[in-house]
Amino acid sequence: MKDVLDTLERWAGDGLRFATATVVKTERSAPREPGAMLAVSERGEVAGSVTGGCVEPAVYEEARAVLAGGPPRLVSYGIADEDAFEVGLPCGGTVHIFLAAGEPDLVRELASHLREEQPVALAMEISGPEIGKQELVALDGHFETGIEGDTFFLPFAPRPEMYVFGAVDHAAAVARVGKFLGYRVTICDARARFATPERFPEADEVVVEWPDEFLRRSPVDERTAICVLTHDHKFDVPLLKVALETPAGYIGAMGARRTTESRNERLRAEGVTDEQLARIHAPIGLRIGSRTPEEVAVAVAAEIVATRRQAPVPA
Amino acid sequence: MLIRAGELASAGTPFALATVVNVRRPASARRGDRAVVTVDGAVYGWVGGSCSEPTVVREALAALGDGESRLVSTEGSCASEGEVEILVEPQLPAPMLAIVGESPAADTLARLATAIDWRVSRDLDESADAVVVATMGRGDEQALERALAGPAGYVGLVASRRRAEAVAASLRSAGVSDDALARLKSPAGLDLGPIRQEEVAVAILAELVAWRHSRAPSELPPPEAVDPVCGMTVSLAGAETVVYHGTTYAFCCDGCRARFEAEPSRYLFVEAP
Repeated sequence: MKDVLDTLERWAGDGLRFATATVVKTERSAPREPGAMLAVSERGEVAGSVTGGCVEPAVYEEARAVLAGGPPRLVSYGIADEDAFEVGLPCGGTVHIFLAAGEPDLVRELASHLREEQPVALAMEISGPEIGKQELVALDGHFETGIEGDTFFLPFAPRPEMYVFGAVDHAAAVARVGKFLGYRVTICDARARFATPERFPEADEVVVEWPDEFLRRSPVDERTAICVLTHDHKFDVPLLKVALETPAGYIGAMGARRTTESRNERLRAEGVTDEQLARIHAPIGLRIGSRTPEEVAVAVAAEIVATRRQAPVPA
Repeated sequence: MLIRAGELASAGTPFALATVVNVRRPASARRGDRAVVTVDGAVYGWVGGSCSEPTVVREALAALGDGESRLVSTEGSCASEGEVEILVEPQLPAPMLAIVGESPAADTLARLATAIDWRVSRDLDESADAVVVATMGRGDEQALERALAGPAGYVGLVASRRRAEAVAASLRSAGVSDDALARLKSPAGLDLGPIRQEEVAVAILAELVAWRHSRAPSELPPPEAVDPVCGMTVSLAGAETVVYHGTTYAFCCDGCRARFEAEPSRYLFVEAP
């Protein structure tokens, strides 16, 4: 829904009525996940998509019906595998889509929450006596997108944090790919000469501070990714020790096998257990033969995605 | 010379940069001398004369083939006692990814590929190293058939596993050969269990990086020959050659060629048992 929010806000500002079609559930694979939204204004303008093109024409007609005064309703597009070719849904899955009249005030409120990165969830009644009711609810650690009873919850958590330590070429590439994956990226290095916003325009923030001290005072949750590219025991041993005390979902550290071994020795000497050490992905990134900083960044991103899958955390 | 290198680089033309890094006198090159070597074996700049150029050209073409830098020595290949060490670095253009289809998945993939400095074409491009088809069911088969008939080394399809199988079956029944189908990555991307479009894009780019660094060199190594006069291995591209009794002989320099032409039999039949 985030991708259409700007348009919805503009429509609301122009006083236009609109209807929304929201993917609330998918079965087997579908091109877009729950929360994907298509919106149609009273002028017939369209924003967003719910599948990638295949059922959009039908959904568009449903949205027009809602704009014409029709009731909110849940529609399903189930495509039998053998029919997948004809109808064009590329996966033969099923999508459940909820259609309702748009609420301008709610859109404005949601947009302002997101601008300030305040956690909030959209709760939409998709069946039962209050069908069609929409409201914003506080997001208190409940991160799952999905249906509970009659209600579809769409959480908008603030962007997860990615902390990149070491103001090196690889950091710029990792920051770029981190942003792509939806992270708020901070680059931290103790050396003021290297850690400058000019060198890292893609970072949300560039901080000059001792890495372990910075991490100790920064917010970390299960969605946080910590990338240690410092390549220097002086920085990365104390830093990794702090990182292992956090619930961070991903901790990766640069360094060839031998560097990693000697670093592990030092961490053990500091009282870190083997079980804790196993949380560190080192050398950082999936083994895909990366050479350039950009390729290393792809390897790191791929490892983060693979790690998320083992402990799924919605973004 | 560096200006020419810049021009070649911005035009996306591959070349090798050769830099003299060490000199043992007597030698005609000085440390820091540089030359650009193009794929046709032409040398622009100076890294020493006929002693080093054939070796540099040979190694430059090899470097352009495998993408690896190398340190080259002219030891033993020179009439003078000197030796020159030359660093030869291939300067290959960023790989090009052609993305076929107008879909959110295609747009997202294009964004990531651009962010990591790949060149991106939004249609089937003959010069693309890799092709990813993401039409989301609107012309997958036609696009894949065209891509598999072309030179791209990697052809991938964005689809669910079920859909991917169906497309492969349909291509097979349309007469696409098993060899061609073996090049098809379907569904495209490492199996990371990705869900969101951004994650799918990461899985595909990770597979492309792995593919790029694991594939066998797609082209044959540049043709080489041994100079029959001095015994040096030279690359045929840009070398002095002479056709004698239907056979082409290559030489490191004018001098060797002249000696050969004066008395070919002396250099061709000496090793009769």
